[in-house]
Amino acid sequence: MEQLNYPKLQETLWHEKMENGLEVYLLPKPGFAKTFATFTTKYGSIDNRFRPPGGETIRVPDGIAHFLEHKMFEEPEGDVFSTFAAQGASANAFTSFDRTVYLFSATRQIPENLTTLIDFVQNPYFTDENVEKEKGIIIQEIDMYRDNPDWRVYFGLIEALYVNHPVHIDIAGTAGSVRSITKEMLYDCYRTFYHPSNMMLFAVGGVDPEAVMDLVRRNQAAKSFPPGGEIERIFDEEPLQVRNPRMSIELPVSLPKCLFGFKEAPGPVRGEEAIKRELASKLMLEALLGPSSELYQSLYDDNLISDSFGQEYNTGPGFAFSVIGGETRDPEELQNRVCGALYEAAERGIDPGVFERTRRKRIGTFLRMMNNPEAIAGEFTRYRHKGGDLFRIVELYETLQAEDIDSRLREHVSPERLAVSVVRSGTA
Amino acid sequence: MNGKGLIEKMPETFERGALGRLRLHVLPTKRFKTFAVSLFAGIPLSESGVTPTALTPFVLRRGTRSYPETIAFREKLDELYGAGFGFDLYKRGDYQVVQFRMDIINDRFVSHAGSLLQEALRFLGEVATEPALEDGRFRARYVEAEKTTVAKRLEAIINDKIRYAGERCVEEMCRDEPYRLPALGRKEDLAALDAGSLYASYRGWLEQASLDLYVAGDTSLEEVRQLAGEAFRLPAGDPAGYAPARTRPARSEAQTIVERLDVGQGKLNLGLRTGTLYGSEDYPALLLYNGLLGAFPHSKLFVNVREKASLAYYASSRLDGHKGLMTIQSGIEIANYGKALDIIREQLAAMERGEFGEEDLARTKAMLSNQLREIDDSAFERIGFDFHSVMAGKERTGEQMIQELEAVTPDQITAAARAVKLDTIYFLRDRKGEG
Repeated sequence: MEQLNYPKLQETLWHEKMENGLEVYLLPKPGFAKTFATFTTKYGSIDNRFRPPGGETIRVPDGIAHFLEHKMFEEPEGDVFSTFAAQGASANAFTSFDRTVYLFSATRQIPENLTTLIDFVQNPYFTDENVEKEKGIIIQEIDMYRDNPDWRVYFGLIEALYVNHPVHIDIAGTAGSVRSITKEMLYDCYRTFYHPSNMMLFAVGGVDPEAVMDLVRRNQAAKSFPPGGEIERIFDEEPLQVRNPRMSIELPVSLPKCLFGFKEAPGPVRGEEAIKRELASKLMLEALLGPSSELYQSLYDDNLISDSFGQEYNTGPGFAFSVIGGETRDPEELQNRVCGALYEAAERGIDPGVFERTRRKRIGTFLRMMNNPEAIAGEFTRYRHKGGDLFRIVELYETLQAEDIDSRLREHVSPERLAVSVVRSGTA
Repeated sequence: MNGKGLIEKMPETFERGALGRLRLHVLPTKRFKTFAVSLFAGIPLSESGVTPTALTPFVLRRGTRSYPETIAFREKLDELYGAGFGFDLYKRGDYQVVQFRMDIINDRFVSHAGSLLQEALRFLGEVATEPALEDGRFRARYVEAEKTTVAKRLEAIINDKIRYAGERCVEEMCRDEPYRLPALGRKEDLAALDAGSLYASYRGWLEQASLDLYVAGDTSLEEVRQLAGEAFRLPAGDPAGYAPARTRPARSEAQTIVERLDVGQGKLNLGLRTGTLYGSEDYPALLLYNGLLGAFPHSKLFVNVREKASLAYYASSRLDGHKGLMTIQSGIEIANYGKALDIIREQLAAMERGEFGEEDLARTKAMLSNQLREIDDSAFERIGFDFHSVMAGKERTGEQMIQELEAVTPDQITAAARAVKLDTIYFLRDRKGEG
């Protein structure tokens, strides 16, 4: 077990790689009552075509990673939620583009709850009957999101941006794809992506690192897994051009919702270079479009945006794009004003004072996040998957120069790689 | 004798004081990397006051005496290491509460000259008590812009169908009470407000509201008393307080409201009267009732509506302890309205008959106790929980609540169940087959 000290942040991290390849990280927070734990597989909605170690290439239905996440909670003895509840833990799970995360938080019976978490995720139990029963529930989940304009405008943008990359497929799939899922497909996916060597366990809060590491070691030693291997994920080549520069959807909304963004070459996939690029992109967007920017205030004064206006940068295996916008009385004018300002800033460069202030803000926001076990767990795992280290983020921010932001901006914005998605009320 | 408290570390507790009209609540703790600050200002919900009170914090966040321009105001927050600043508006009991929040990192993590807590309190004090003015009233430009913002927010409630259905159900249930009013005010009242009238209403609000300032972090009551004394310019007087809501019986026969919109999924919401408030001795039994019925994945609603019948993705119940209400919500296929309603009513009836197992009761107690213990790890949750007891006028720490929950018997839960009465069934559905 290795111990990693971060004196500036006053944090100590414990790490061990189990013999079967499982990575375990523990972050004790002295004085905290709660332990928050996540058990994560590098497997999400984009992994729809792959070759398991030593196997044939498989293509699986859209939404299957999310379906699998739902089904993991069922065990031969019943529902895992009941076991967690008896141990006073609240449990949950979610699926993103490239991860599936199982989690609990609890203040008591931490060894029991950790054991339950590890064991249920490492014990799939799918039957024809329980797979069939889940379909109705997931179709209601899909229908709920279909009525949600924020979700629709967001996915509309990704659909507009991407031609081949599966990031444009809804994480839950469609009613049709969900109906086609069988227990055999679920087992294929499970065996490929839930091998310990593709997974990470992270616990933060009131944990005793020695005792917990020992528990995990013994738990894993008592189970046998086939040898792990390289999983080949297959993606078609993605052109730089967008699929559709303008997507429009009708739903009842009080004002049109408009999101636009630039797609760019994904750049380095792993390591600190990839993370610096991500931080520079976020700082760049915030400096130019954040609530204390001149542009934000002038758009607000002209009643083109509301407090819902925001921006984000999203990147993962094979994709990288920005998302900018919110509700607006005039999508076209909003897009023209914002893009015009971005193109102009790309030529002129970012004001060094604004750069410094925004960097300070982002460092402060990061430090505030360090109070929040849930956020730490999510971000730690995300950065770890990219081969980076959450606890080095402040240092990376400190190495950024105004020039890095300028070149990031020039690389990122280009009218050819821009798409817009709008949700507005029907004319009928 | 319960010896547990001797073994476990004593949790930090709030220290209390007052500064004129402002009550102070300070939680000295070294556990967090931040100072968390909240100012609660509550006044009775009223037809005439709801909209100006709602608009006020929107205007206050545009600028202060020292930072009258919004950009400078926000730049100042960035310079304070991205200090978090925001506000919430909500109804609680028969009050309309504005909560300002600030969250700022502890100086020991950055090289900053001067005290960041002092700067944060000075900033918040100005926001609340020394806004940017022109000619002795609010800046007209800010008032007009924020009227538009509030109007847009009110209109936008319909975008989120889950929230919309929830608010409509409560509005229908409380049609004859101030509680029907939205915390964000009423759109039709906005037009009549201007910089002068809003400023007058703001001054009245400062004079009448119950004001509670909370700070959690590495500080003391004495330090906060001194810093807040410099930062808040409040009218003289003594602290006001809160009175419990007046509880009402449910309609003798439940009403059914069906509303049609362009939706794909139906939203079925039920409104019920519990008759029991947060400060009551019976409240822990009601919490357990709600837990068994619908607060958790092991609860009756989740198990029967979702897991057994596959009718919904979500099906849950929620208590409003300050108003004495409970709501049930679920998203279902429209054709399944009757089936889902029958299953939900059957769960309510089963609770009245005392049909719940020992194991489920133990699970519910364990889950609620865990939620209460988890509060200790978040500064804002500690503050929020304490403010519940301040509003209810009932001092009860998390640990005390856990002990009270442990002592509740199944009979007490059944008694709570029998007191809960269905008042309103609200269904949001599509336009197909509309007459």
